[in-house]
Order: sequence, then C-alpha cells, then structure tokens
Amino acid sequence: MPEEKEQILHHTWQEGAAKANAGYTRRRITIDPITRLEGHGKIDIFLDEAGQVERAYFQVPELRGFEKFVQGRPAEEMPQITSRICGVCPTAHHMAATKALDSLYRVDPPPAAKKIRELVYNTFMAEDHALHFYFLGGPDFVVGPDAPPTERNVLGVIGKVGVETGKKVIAMRRRWRELIALVAGKAVHPVFGLPGGVAKRVTPDMQRQFQEVAAEGVEFAKFTLQLFEDVVLKNTDYVSLILADVYTHRTYYMGMVDDCNRVNFYDGPIRVVTPDGKEWKRFPPEQYLEHIAEHVEPWSYVKFCYLKQVGWNGFREGIDSGIYSVAPLARLNVSDGMTTPLAHEAYQKFFSTLGGKPVHYTLANHWARLVELLYATERMKELAVDPQLTDPAIRVLPTEKPREGIGVVEAPRGTLVHHYQTDENGLIQKANLIVATQNNSARMAMSVEKAAKGLISGADVPESVLNRVEMAFRAYDPCHGCATHSLPGSMPLLVRVRNQSGKTLALLRRDFDGSVHRE
Amino acid sequence: MSSTSSSEVDPSGSAAQKCDIRVLCLGNDLLGDDSLGSMVAAHVRQFAPANVEVVSTPETGLHLLDYALNATRLIVVDTVVTGSAPPGTIYEFRDTDLNSLPGSSPHYVGLFEALAVARHLRLPAAEQVLILAVEARDCSTVGENMHPAVVAAIPVLIKMVRDRMSAGVGDIAPNKKEIAA
Repeated sequence: MPEEKEQILHHTWQEGAAKANAGYTRRRITIDPITRLEGHGKIDIFLDEAGQVERAYFQVPELRGFEKFVQGRPAEEMPQITSRICGVCPTAHHMAATKALDSLYRVDPPPAAKKIRELVYNTFMAEDHALHFYFLGGPDFVVGPDAPPTERNVLGVIGKVGVETGKKVIAMRRRWRELIALVAGKAVHPVFGLPGGVAKRVTPDMQRQFQEVAAEGVEFAKFTLQLFEDVVLKNTDYVSLILADVYTHRTYYMGMVDDCNRVNFYDGPIRVVTPDGKEWKRFPPEQYLEHIAEHVEPWSYVKFCYLKQVGWNGFREGIDSGIYSVAPLARLNVSDGMTTPLAHEAYQKFFSTLGGKPVHYTLANHWARLVELLYATERMKELAVDPQLTDPAIRVLPTEKPREGIGVVEAPRGTLVHHYQTDENGLIQKANLIVATQNNSARMAMSVEKAAKGLISGADVPESVLNRVEMAFRAYDPCHGCATHSLPGSMPLLVRVRNQSGKTLALLRRDFDGSVHRE
Repeated sequence: MSSTSSSEVDPSGSAAQKCDIRVLCLGNDLLGDDSLGSMVAAHVRQFAPANVEVVSTPETGLHLLDYALNATRLIVVDTVVTGSAPPGTIYEFRDTDLNSLPGSSPHYVGLFEALAVARHLRLPAAEQVLILAVEARDCSTVGENMHPAVVAAIPVLIKMVRDRMSAGVGDIAPNKKEIAA
C-alpha cells in the first residue's frame, strides 16, 4: 500500500474509532484477545441505552506492508514469498501465485503439469479440511458448545473420539504431507509451481505412493463423515444449533466450478448465486474486478468485499445487499453437484437433510467441509491412476513479455485471488491479493452481531457468550494464522461491560486454560 | 528433514529426525521482529554438535507437532507480544511452568496444544521443553526492520541456547524468568 494511502487509512481509522467511541460511550462490551494485540480477532460490542446490543464490530488481523514489500521484485518470486507469509495455507498461496504467473506470461501448462498441480492441491485440501474438523471445529460439535470450557479443546475432542481415532488423524495427516513434500518440497519453502508448469515430474514410483495413500484417504473421509453423522446429526441439540436463526444469513454465495457447475478447487469459472439459489453470474476469474468491490468502514482496517453490481447497502442480508460468502458451504451452494460418486451422494444428503439449496446455516460449513474432504480424497484417487500423470512433459517455457496476471484457486477457506502487474522485465509494479477471509468479512461481521444480539442483554453477560459469539465466526475458519505461532498459543478473551461514563461494570475473563473468571 | 516412504510411515506422525536436542526456532523472516527465530537458528547451526538438530520454521498450529516429536529435549526460540514488557525482554520458562491445558479457543492451536496432543496420544513427544521467548514490537509488517532492542537480544539469546544445550534442562528454569536484554 502506498505510504500516503496508508496514512489516510490510519487517520480515517483514528477518526472513525473516536467517532464510534463517542457515539457509543453509553455502554460498551469488548471481547479482546490479550495475547496478540493490535486488532487481532477483536470484537467490540456496543449497547444502547436500554442495555441491548446496538452494533457489534469484528476485526480480523491483517498483515501490513505486503504491497510495498513486493514492488520491484521478480514476479517469479511470488509463489515463494506468498507461501512463506502465510503459515496456515502456504500451498493455496503458492498455487494461486503460480496460476497468476501462467496468466502473466500467457502460457498454458501441459496436461501432466495441470494434473500434478491438481493432485497436490487436493492433497493439501484434504489435510487442511481434516485438521480443521478434528482440531479446530471439533470442540464446537464433537465435544459440544456447552461442555465445560476446560474440555472444549483438542484434548476434549480426542477424549470424545478416542485415542485410536486421534492417532489415525495424525498418521493420515502425515501421509498427506509427505506426498506434498515428495512433489512440491517443504510446504513453507515450495519448489514446485513455475510459469507454464511444474518443477518436478511424477515418477511411476511416486504415482504408486499417491494411489496407496489416496485409497486410504477415501476410507478416512468416509469414516469422518460417519463420525459426524453419529456424533452431530444424531444429536438433536446440535442439529437445532445448526438450524438456529442466530447462525443464519440469507446472502449471495461465490465459488469456483467446472464446466458443468460442479465443485472444483483448482480451476474453472467463478459462479455466484443469489440468496434464492439462482445463478446470478458466472464469469472467468480474470474478470473478478468487474464483479468484486471493497467497502471500507472507518472502524476497521478490514476491507469488506461485496458484489459491485448489486452494491453496498450496509450490513444487511437479502437480494438487494451485495454481501456474499465463500468457503465450503458457499462452494456447495453455487454448484450443481460433485464430480466424484461418494462425495456427490454426501452432497445430496447434505441438501436433502437441510431443506434444499441454498443452505443459509453458517454452522453447516462444518458438514460441507467434510463433503469436500471426501471429494478431495476421491479426486486424488482419480488423478493418481491417470496415465497422463507420469508424462515427462511438465512445462511449456514462457516466451511472451509479461504485463498482467491473475490467478484464482479455491483455498480451504474460500476463493483466493492473486493479481500482479509487472514491467516488461517481469518486476512487480502492483500486487493485489483477495484472501478468503476478506471475501467473508462482511457476512462474518453480521454473524457476530446477530449472535451478540441473541445472547447479550445489558451488563448480564453469560459465560456462554464467549464461546457462542466465537462460534459465529469460527465456522468460517477466518485466518488468524499469520501471527499465531508466537507464544502463548491460545487466545484468552476479555469481555468488558462499561457504563456511560466508561466505568467498568463487569469483567469476564477467560484464561489460557479455558477457565472463566469474573472480576 | 528426513522423509520416509509411505510404506514405512512412523506411526508417531513425525517428519523430524530423531535427535537428543532440537533447537526449534519459530518465526517468519519476512515479518519484522519475527525474523528473530531464523537469525538465531543461523548462528546456532554454526556450533551445534551432531546430536543437536536446529530447525527454523514459520509454520504454525498443529504443523508444529512434527517438531515436538523424536527429540529428548526441545529448546524453543520464539517471539512473544505481551505488551507488558519492553521489546527485547527475554523470557525463559518450561512448558510445564505455564500450568495450562490447551486454550479453549480452538482457532489458536499452537505449540503447547501440539505437545499436549502428542503426549495424550502417547506419541514420542519431547520429555523436556524449554522456551526462550523475546518480547517483540511488530510481527505483522512484511519487510519491516527489526526493533533495535530485539536485535540486541540476539547475541544474548545465542549464548543462552549454547549454555542450555550443554546443561541439563532439569537444572535450569525452575520457574518463569524474565531477563532484560
């Protein structure tokens, strides 16, 4: 970001924050992570004079300085730079950047290269989705939202599913990661994607390893869906929670599809459906700027994406509001099915159980993620037996002068856009990234506000609010990963209730160990 | 890093080598003060004996599980932003000093959760874990220079790593210590 723009934004932020504080000094609740500071996952909830929630603001962390940092660097470095910046989904950034280089040099990779890329990418998706279900989303549904806080963690999940299942998850994850490393090198330092192809071919021996692990992966995904059915769908309380109005929004949805409008993570047009489930647009990824715009609010650094041609009409649901959603639920909503048989069966069951398309229940993202897990493993199996996979022709050398390139993939958390402009030597002049969390930011803000409205009344802040409000955004799996390796690893929360003069009426604090204290 | 073929998968799920001591330097060298880990790793590699593996990684979350296994002792070098101490302040503590279970916010699964998972699943997790963390100012700005006080902490930290490598972990850091660099 140019320095001047950054200063303006900073000034706007200060001004907006002061304005918001002045306007809402009546009563204020802050849910604030107190480990990593400066706006990381911060939630501010403001009460009106009657003590009811008037507005809630949610901010996700944002890295600063990226655009400036990459200016003047060779475009070929982007797959490495972007994958190093994100410690959570490096493979997604690496792939989007590689596709942007294809576009930049106007080069079409040979079939084997495309298949190798898609195979590696589906392996990554399977690993990420499995980890999310068991270790990140699991405490909400596997352990349960009302379980004691000290049990609502990864150990609670293992306690519920059993040590053997826990070991199975860890071992499966390792097999997937080894396959990725086999072809692409270390996840954080990939040496894989090149403009026009890939750096390494798949040998027959490597292909056999993919076939073996892919078959195990399908069984693992089936096992996980069955576990979801047994633990979640057979529990009426959990089902009621998924269907609850507090976690429901009627918005547009966006995702990548193939030629027949079926889910595809690696390549294809972008499809958008209305809140009624009708196709609104279907466009090539290169046209994203014609359809996606960014709205800025004075109280947040986060840019809120919306559909340009519908327009920004505030944080509202419905057909007249350009707010849309990405991520697993959105991908299923925009598609007409899955290309693989078992995943398609799971897709049909998903919609028949939840009342048809589109599904607006945010918490259904967890189930949709597992449908996609099954698809990713089946797709791996298909690609692993493809005879073209071992073709030694894995690259077409670029010959065109670079100018502008756009690469889009579906990251685990939703549509990811990389857009570069270069000089004729391929040095970056401008780079724009739209990450999944940004696509979802407006709907996430609505989710947090709706959850807060349903749960908070005056200074009476029940302990469950900490988790229930978090659940509202956790289903989207917003990416806070850029800063979370630092110690300590967990996120304590602080809820503060203030009166008109700013005096604290109540303080609710959740510590590292999950214990909640009132002061 | 060693890697085995899928037919020889170690059920522990570790991708790291077996070693006596692993110096695990966390942080992203593109993100201001977060470069600390990789800088310390580069120095420690120069004098680390054969039984010590030095790892530098920007990875996060449960991906750190791989590095928590198959080492008897783990010396972790990282940044921390508490906001309650000046940049460059060095903290030294053991994982057990935190007296905590994994946090109840599942999105913030980190090293301690990875360790807890490993132990709970009876995987070969490190028996002793020592953490050397430095208070940072800014770990969110790409390409930013490090804060001078964080840079000044690096030689102190390197000496501490050298000392801790040659001492028994059981002999040091009975409680959390704070050392101003």
